[in-house]
Amino acid sequence: MRPPASGRGAARDGYVPIADYAAIGDGRTVALVARDGSVDWLCLPDLDSPSVFAALLDADRGGRFELCPDVAADVQRRYVPDTNVLETTFTSALGIARVTDAMTLSGSGLGPTRELVRRIEGVAGCVPMRWRVAPAFGYGHIRPRIEYRGPVPVAVGGAGALAVCSWDAGRPEVDGSAISGRFEMRGGDSACIALCAAYQEPLVFPRRDDVERRLDAAAAYWREWAAQRTYDGPWRDAVIRSALTLKLLFHAPSGAIAAAATASLPEEIGGERNWDYRLCWIRDSAFTLEALMRLGCPSEAEAFFWWLLHASQLSRPKLRVLYRLDGGERAPERVLALNGYRGSRPVRVGNDAAGQTQLDIYGCLLQTAAIYTEAGGRLDREAGRRLAGVADLVARIWREPDSGIWEVRSAPRHFTHSKMMCWVALDRAIRLAAAGHLESKHVALWRGEADAIAHFVEAHCWSARLGSYTRDAGGEGLDASLLLGILLGYRGPDPRRMDATLEAVRRELGHGALLYRYSGDDGLGGTEGAFLCCSFWLVDALATMGRHDEATELMAELIDRANDVGLYAEEIDPHSGELLGNVPQGLVHLALINAAVSITASGDR
Amino acid sequence: MSVWGALAGGFVGTLVLTTTLRAANEAGLTRVDLPFLLGTAVTLDRARAKALGYVLHLAAGEGFALVYYAIFAAIGTDGWLLGALMGLLHGIVSTTALVNVLLPVVHPHMGSTLSSADRSPLLEPPGFLMRNYGHGTPAVTLLAHVAYGAIVGGFAGMAG
Repeated sequence: MRPPASGRGAARDGYVPIADYAAIGDGRTVALVARDGSVDWLCLPDLDSPSVFAALLDADRGGRFELCPDVAADVQRRYVPDTNVLETTFTSALGIARVTDAMTLSGSGLGPTRELVRRIEGVAGCVPMRWRVAPAFGYGHIRPRIEYRGPVPVAVGGAGALAVCSWDAGRPEVDGSAISGRFEMRGGDSACIALCAAYQEPLVFPRRDDVERRLDAAAAYWREWAAQRTYDGPWRDAVIRSALTLKLLFHAPSGAIAAAATASLPEEIGGERNWDYRLCWIRDSAFTLEALMRLGCPSEAEAFFWWLLHASQLSRPKLRVLYRLDGGERAPERVLALNGYRGSRPVRVGNDAAGQTQLDIYGCLLQTAAIYTEAGGRLDREAGRRLAGVADLVARIWREPDSGIWEVRSAPRHFTHSKMMCWVALDRAIRLAAAGHLESKHVALWRGEADAIAHFVEAHCWSARLGSYTRDAGGEGLDASLLLGILLGYRGPDPRRMDATLEAVRRELGHGALLYRYSGDDGLGGTEGAFLCCSFWLVDALATMGRHDEATELMAELIDRANDVGLYAEEIDPHSGELLGNVPQGLVHLALINAAVSITASGDR
Repeated sequence: MSVWGALAGGFVGTLVLTTTLRAANEAGLTRVDLPFLLGTAVTLDRARAKALGYVLHLAAGEGFALVYYAIFAAIGTDGWLLGALMGLLHGIVSTTALVNVLLPVVHPHMGSTLSSADRSPLLEPPGFLMRNYGHGTPAVTLLAHVAYGAIVGGFAGMAG
């Protein structure tokens, strides 16, 4: 790609492809860096706070931090191996310059609350560089006030402030509500720009050697963390990249994990399927804990599991579909006055799915508890009592319709996957009771209701015409989430029905290695791409069924669908290969990890 | 006014405060559990943390009762109403500064605004007014502290 002297390289209407983004972060927030060197997304102080840079949702008003050559240049980039430190190399006719981007970790000593560091190094020749920090606080609604603290320009907006500290990067100039500079990068020279943020507290102005030391320390931390992961199979690079990406989505203060780093990136360009994923879904919990255990992340697993139990305490035994990263329940959806990615409106923050009824989440919670205890974790008596209460609730409410795993906005239905997950909930409760983690006085009830659920599924959710379980009771649609029945061990009276369902899903929803989510309506207009997590579930299901070679072949195709630095968005357009939806998406990376481990295990059998 | 009265009030007041919070917890109004938060600072065993936490919380209740007594003595007056006012102030300081700011910093297993990717917390931070533990938390906590203060003030006055 060749960024021109001004404006954005391959950008269309000011927007680069979603696949052009790489993520850096510090365990509290994530910045997205485009191939052309522009930081187009950053929320402060936390991942779910309002944005300071949101150019990916509004190229004009969103705010961004540009840093690139002032001449046309080819771009190559990579993560520094086994880290979340990004390295972008610009090669121009005049020379080569490299930019290293990272968010530093707090560590010891007095540092800024949040710190985004960009180190520029001259590799060869002499490259003219330019940079421009144009913050727009509060999702672009608060214009910054630019002031000086001594020689350092500071942008102030609401309770937040940003200091733009630069060394050997030209004299900072203030232009309206932006701070910019130009400089030449000669071979062997280096420059540094640090964006130091404060929220509800005074700014900290760092020294250059402290900034660079923290940058190097962050790289060392990520390398060390990656080295401790236990997976060593054929997909190591993709698995470690996924693990590092998930680590970015973990909210270090609480242990929660965000579904993705962004809000409102569209599932269809120009469409209305634009959702905020900076929240933690119960739906993802079992996959999360399984992946963490399989990767050898006991401390993250412990933190996540107990956060889950703490967060769900207030509404017990009912669960909310999702929780905020701080454990709160309320995430009211609202529409921002932004143009949206390539005109995809509305731009939503918050998520009204929080108030939906989804029966599958109870199975996810109890499966999570089962994974935790099978790995040696202990439940205290109160936790056991609450989980038993969840199982009792499932026994009472599984006959109700719900909005299903995909949170459709049409009328509630009897989704087959939801019923299967209710069966999983009761099955895991029975297992937990047998292992002494739950009181066993209700086991007979749970067993009876589990049988009743299986009877319902077999009687009403099977289509002889399709030769498959169906999306919902009495329907003729299909749903890729039925594959989870295989992965979570739903057992009907005839196991061949699951085998047939897998074939039907591939036949009806497949596009090569890719799968669409479901057939039929969902209460929304427009279309969407293929769902990448479903595609990895297919691989996982094939591996679980012992079809190792097929799983391996599909896995290789899916690994090739990642962007140039190994990240996935939620969806992909099977025809153009364009990534769609929020990025990076945790569920996809979780599914990749679990599929890779399953393939390795199936190869060992 | 008597220091023994204040200490007796501290004991009863802490029992009332702890019971109020526990009842609110069971009623689904809040997820706050002060003994648990204190206990996990010294042990990672969840059951032992709760037991130890009650002891630590009781000791803290007696400590605060002595502070109340010192203030009563300094201004030369006491009583349940003054105690209740001090309890209100105590509750506000606790939820905005002590538990929200100080505890996460000194607690070895609690997340804080300073936590970054190199840490995995075992306890979520309480947040301003401890609202991370539920929106009912500020009201319940303040009410419990007002009751504590009123009891300490009342006992200190009665003993005089």
